[in-house]
This record gives sequence, structure tokens and C-alpha cells, in this order.
Amino acid sequence: MTSIAATGLNVATPRAFVRPVVTSLSAPVRLNYPWKFSSTKRMVMSVKATSEGEIISDKVEKSIQEAKETCADDPVSGECVAAWDEVEELSAAASHARDKKKAGGSDPLEEYCSDNPETDECRTYDN
Amino acid sequence: MAVSTIYSTQALNSTHFLTSSPSSSSKQVFFYRRQTNRRFNTIITCAAQQTVVIGLAADSGCGKSTFMRRLTSVFGGAAEPPKGGNPDSNTLISDMTTVICLDDYHSLDRTGRKEKGVTALDPRANDFDLMYEQVKALKSGIAVEKPIYNHVTGLLDAPELIQPPKILVIEGLHPMFDERVRDLLDFSIYLDISNEVKFAWKIQRDMAERGHSLESIKASIEARKPDFDAFIDPQKQYADAVIEVLPTQLIPDDNEGKVLRVRLIMKEGVKYFSPVYLFDEGSTISWIPCGRKLTCSYPGIKFNYQPDSYFDNEVSVVEMDGQFDRLDELIYVESHLSNLSTKFYGEVTQQMLKHADFPGSNNGTGLFQTIVGLKIRDLYEQLIANKANAPTEASKA
Repeated sequence: MTSIAATGLNVATPRAFVRPVVTSLSAPVRLNYPWKFSSTKRMVMSVKATSEGEIISDKVEKSIQEAKETCADDPVSGECVAAWDEVEELSAAASHARDKKKAGGSDPLEEYCSDNPETDECRTYDN
Repeated sequence: MAVSTIYSTQALNSTHFLTSSPSSSSKQVFFYRRQTNRRFNTIITCAAQQTVVIGLAADSGCGKSTFMRRLTSVFGGAAEPPKGGNPDSNTLISDMTTVICLDDYHSLDRTGRKEKGVTALDPRANDFDLMYEQVKALKSGIAVEKPIYNHVTGLLDAPELIQPPKILVIEGLHPMFDERVRDLLDFSIYLDISNEVKFAWKIQRDMAERGHSLESIKASIEARKPDFDAFIDPQKQYADAVIEVLPTQLIPDDNEGKVLRVRLIMKEGVKYFSPVYLFDEGSTISWIPCGRKLTCSYPGIKFNYQPDSYFDNEVSVVEMDGQFDRLDELIYVESHLSNLSTKFYGEVTQQMLKHADFPGSNNGTGLFQTIVGLKIRDLYEQLIANKANAPTEASKA
């Protein structure tokens, strides 16, 4: 039981963008399949990827708010321009994340197998 | 051919630079030690290969990644981020090509730029010295530790090792801004999107994002425009090929921006690059392929070809207005264009079909991007053949 708490703590330390969803999902997967260390990491990473899309969307929304506020004071200042530039950069990142997700990063097994085709889970017997 | 590998775990503030004298057939190696403030260690490998460097400039949201995917596909293979590295890396690696995003050479991260009130378009936010050193190193066959700019967090991450590829593509906002980097480029392309089309594309991209509205998209474009016009736009005069995207002239008062007029402006007199032409090189041709042999749906297709002058340079311009609806339109058009540098009949059509899901696959953007990709392949093969001939001549003498 202490190990769950320990893992929970470890995952929660990168305070930047870990949501409770990620923490609760990673702990039980680790316990049930303790030998599948690398594939677990994949699982966590793929979950992180979908929530990352939401994280970026949140950032876009926040940056638009900030830009509107900064520009309300002074529309031609460097700060206003830099704020809208940040909006543009985050929107581009969001659209790339959406494309990546659509391109099929949704199946964790496929992702893992494309990187490690020789492992037991990924072997194909064609003949 | 001697291949030597030296690993320097040198710390602190020094870099080793390795050069080889190109004239002798047996490589002579000189080591220079220089005190610099670089934070990155260099791992030095010497190899007897020359890298071809291509530069691609465009504003964000303007189809650079689509172009990159088409280009790498012409050479074969899919380009992927480096395996096992930073998942937020911007680099793409395939068998023959490596694509480096110039955002990695930002000297200021997002917070730094906000403090100084400077956009990413501003040259003050970019480290051109490091860009020049690393591109020069990669061109000479030396691996480099390139910084990573994380677009999600807006921070500069730990560097990643980049091996010198056969073809290096540097894409970003400023590939041709710095004169030294410009001289290293073997070929350069600029994607020039007109304001109306840019607005339409950004709306398409951002309207799905909550928080964005028409006003915020418009404000974002307007705010960046002064920096863009001052720093990015002037690069088009240096480009060997410019792909200009404009609203169509076939539909009067069109504001949907679905049908596009695309112009491929090719500089004359560039080494290893022969411009595409229609029917007769150097003359002015206006061509509507739709008629008896080919039926097109509204609004049809219109081609133009003419010699012209662009920023005091002699250029040839091929222009396409309209859309492809069917495969046979595409192959019909391809069979009438000359100097495409294809290896077999129908190669352009095949490449376009391979990526039919990419944006622009039914109009001039996809067509001209594919053609430029084939031209780059042709340039690469000519360059390599030339380099192969040079040492044999030296050994004969």
C-alpha cells in the first residue's frame, strides 16, 4: 500500500500539468503488470498525450485571455504583440497535437509495437 | 576512406572544431580549440560525405509541415521524430533527410520574450551564431548537439544529438535571414501566402479551438504583421523558388478561399536547378486544359507561364488557378509540363495520389510542392555526381 502512495507522490511531483486522472490511471496498471515496465511507460505516455491535447487547449484559452488583457492597456506595445505571438505559437502547437492524435496515436499497443517489433506481444506470424 | 570518431567529454566553456582539407584525397585533420560560451558539448565524427542543405521559410500555419512530408516522401521513407529522445522534439528524421526546425535556435524562451516584449519573428529572439555554426558543422559531416525548443512548455530543453544526414532541411521563420547561413544553403524556398488566404487557413485551423473567435484570430494576425513584414517577408528576394498562394481569379468575389491561385516563381541561373516550363521555354503561355479532350467541373483550371522579373532577379513563373477533381486531369496536366525532373511518366501524379489526404492535394499548392520536391532530388543527385567526379580528377592529377 505504501508503494501506491509512493508512486502516487512521485508522479504528482511535476506540478506543471499532472491532473488527478493521470495519477490514478498509472498506479493500478503498474501493480497489475509489474513485468511490463516499458509497456506501462507507454500506457502512461499515451494517456499523457491525450490529456496533453487538453492541456494545450487550456493554454491557448488562457493565453488569449492574457493577450486581450495586455492589449486593452496598450494596443501597440511590445507586450501586446508578444502576447498575440504566444497565442499564435500555442494555436500552432494545438493544431499539431490534434493532427498527431488523428494520425493514429490512439492505440498504445500499435505505438509500442512500431518501436519494438521483436517483443512477444508484437510478433506476427504471417505464414 | 578513413573514418575516425572522437568523443570529447569536454566540459565548461570550450569547443573543439574539426576541419579537413578538401584538396587531398587522404583526409588531414586539424583540431582547433576555441573558448566560447556554448553550453553544449560536441561529439566529433569525421566522415567523407557532403551534406546538401535546403532552406524553407514560411510563417507558422502556412504548410511547412505538409511540404516537409511531401519532400521526404519524394526521397522515400517516412520522416519521424528521433526515437527514444525528447517527445516534444521538432526534428524529423528519415533515411536520407533530416528536418531541423529553426525554432530550436531561439535565444529567448516564451517568458523571456514576454518580458522583453519581443515576438519569435524578431531576430533578437534567435541565436544566429549558433545556427550558423551548427549548420556549417552538419554540412561538413560533423554531428552536433542541437538545442530543443519545446513548443508546449515554451522552454528550451536539453539538446539532442543530430547526425549529419545526406540532405539537411532547415525550416522555420529565418533560414535566409542571416547572410552566413544563406551562403550555406544549396537551395532555398519561400512559401508566400497572401493575407486573405492566410486568414482563411488560420480560421480553419483555430476555429475548432475553444477560446478562439474570429476577432482573436484576426487580432493575432494583425499584431504579428509589422514584425512579419519587417523581418520575414524580405527573405523572399533571396529564395531560389517562391510558392505564392493567392485567392482565385476564376470566381468573382470569392471569399471562401477554397479555390486557390498558386504561382511557382523560379529563379533563373541557379546551379543544378532548371525551371519548369509549359510548351516553350521563355515564352508567355496561357493555357486552359479543359475543353474537348478533358472535361472539368466549375470553376475549371487555368495555367499561365511567363518569364518575369522579381526583386531584380530574372525568374520564370508557372501559375495554376483552380482545382483538380479527377485523376485524369492531373495526369493530363503533368504530361504537358516540361522539365519536371521526373524519373518516369506520371511520377508527379503518383506522388500527389500517395498523399491525397494532405491539404492542398487538389490544387496548385500540392502540385508545386511536389514539383519542387522532385527538383530538389534532381539537384541533390547532380551535386553528388559532381562531388564524386571531383576527387577522381584530383587523384588523376
